[in-house]
Amino acid sequence: MTNDTVTGIARTAGRRGFSPARGRVPARRRPISARLLDGALTLPALAIYIVLMVVPVGYAVYYSFTTYNGIPSQSPTWVGLDNYRRIFEDPANEMHSSVMVTATIAIVGSLLVNAIALGLALLLQRKSRFNSFGRAVMFYPHVLSALIVGFLWQALLGPQGAINALMETMMGSRLPFLSDPTWALWTLIGVIVWAQFGVQLVLYIAGLQAVSVDLLEAARIDGASRFQVFRHVTWPALASTVTVTIITSVLSLLKAYDVVLGLTNGGPGGATQTWAYEILAVSFPNNKVGLASAQAVLLIIAAGILSFSIIAMRRKAESGSEAVG
Amino acid sequence: MKRSRRMSTALRITFLGLLSAAMLVPMYILVINAFKPQQDILLSPLTINPETATTEFLAAAWNSTQFPVVEGYIFTIFLVIACNLVSIGVSIPAAYVIARTPGFVFAAMLMFFVAGMFIPSQIILVPTIFVLKALGLMGTVPGLVLFMSATMIPFTLFIFSGYIRMLPRSLDEAAAIDGAGRLRIIWTIVFPLMKPIVATAFILNALSAWNDFVSPQLILGPGSTAKTITTGVYAAVSSYSTNYEIVFPTLLLAVAPILVIFIAMQRFIMGGLASGAVKG
Repeated sequence: MTNDTVTGIARTAGRRGFSPARGRVPARRRPISARLLDGALTLPALAIYIVLMVVPVGYAVYYSFTTYNGIPSQSPTWVGLDNYRRIFEDPANEMHSSVMVTATIAIVGSLLVNAIALGLALLLQRKSRFNSFGRAVMFYPHVLSALIVGFLWQALLGPQGAINALMETMMGSRLPFLSDPTWALWTLIGVIVWAQFGVQLVLYIAGLQAVSVDLLEAARIDGASRFQVFRHVTWPALASTVTVTIITSVLSLLKAYDVVLGLTNGGPGGATQTWAYEILAVSFPNNKVGLASAQAVLLIIAAGILSFSIIAMRRKAESGSEAVG
Repeated sequence: MKRSRRMSTALRITFLGLLSAAMLVPMYILVINAFKPQQDILLSPLTINPETATTEFLAAAWNSTQFPVVEGYIFTIFLVIACNLVSIGVSIPAAYVIARTPGFVFAAMLMFFVAGMFIPSQIILVPTIFVLKALGLMGTVPGLVLFMSATMIPFTLFIFSGYIRMLPRSLDEAAAIDGAGRLRIIWTIVFPLMKPIVATAFILNALSAWNDFVSPQLILGPGSTAKTITTGVYAAVSSYSTNYEIVFPTLLLAVAPILVIFIAMQRFIMGGLASGAVKG
């Protein structure tokens, strides 16, 4: 057979297997110099990634067990789980409220973002001039920095802001968008949704383009209503897109910080203080590096657990999509 | 049947038209109010009188000492290019080796990199500051570039290795038979074929570098003379948030270039996002 030739080429090319089926068959090892070169090629990426991403995570874990205050002359003292205990018991009740704020933003925000994005994607999926204009308009807030989005909406919705000034002249009353704790939280969520749904919209449109036209047509010929076509053909075929859009939106909502800084600065009275805000604007500036690290570690763990559970939950839906697609 | 379809098209266009207009209202208010004095902004935020419109406040924002606008643009563009050079430059060879070498080691290495996508980069900044201090890079531009590149590497490498897997192996095998070494294969055979995915990575990394606020603010320090657009806006606006004569012109100067770039390149920006996240 041609297997010999193939292995010969593969060997010359410096590789072990050739076809996926043969991948496991142990062929002759590549010369050590070639393998060293392979290692060397991954080295720059590994070095930067390890030193500036992995090592800091390690440091965060270490500091989270200490009362380090970040002052160079002081050294960290080991206190075990004290920082974590403090976060869970939370005597002053400031951390639990920021967990609640973050959870509300992540859950409500990602549901809203995905619902709006999917709905609009269905309306904007055909290619036309009007639709590409619409897509661009829905997407543009994403190219603005979150900090600027926050400042912009603060100028619009603040007590002196443009929208309140307008309501005053038209209806004679103002709304406490940013000055009432409950209003401020929902305003923040609204602003985040305004800024973010465009990204998910683009992802959904890309996903919709991959839905089999034959299946859609067949369903229509069989007399399925619009809703039935969506429910039984489009939605299952979108399964992997939905997984991506949910994970990306939840991860970006979990770390909301810039937009909070610009819009409300955590106020009024901590009502919009997110977990990331707590870490970067409360614990760290107050020289509580140990506590800030414990909070960062918990956020990373939460992000990991959430992502993996979303992937696990979506696995069933995605395997269903293979049957359809 | 036909009439109901026309009706629904009309409904769809009306709905989307109204929504598009609503999405643009904040931008409209931002633009017109950048040319008006405080009194006019408070009294009539939605209209502009061309006779009293003035560029005086824009000029004041342009000359602001807290936010040196031109230097801000230049420094931010420099960051965008430097971070892309570093993150794409190191990701290509690593992704090539990972995609083309079978075996457990490189599969595990890919997982190791991908795990980085779940680390919220702004949160990891607090401990990163101590690492940078130990390296003597805290408060320096190289330190900032290296950290921002490190946060871009996981995603860049992930989409690159997925893309290289789709390229036919016979190409690099042919080159190998002709006597090309690995480095040569990567830069003369594989890299040119990767143009679409490199463009995608460049666009997405550029957007995140352009908009990053926390990294430059914390690594360079709030008092740093090198200001990006976002740290400059923060310095200029945060303490004057009700002085709209400062707020609106400063924000307009900050968003104008990226909006112009977006309008010119929107197809590629949105297309890049779609191909990077879904197909990668």
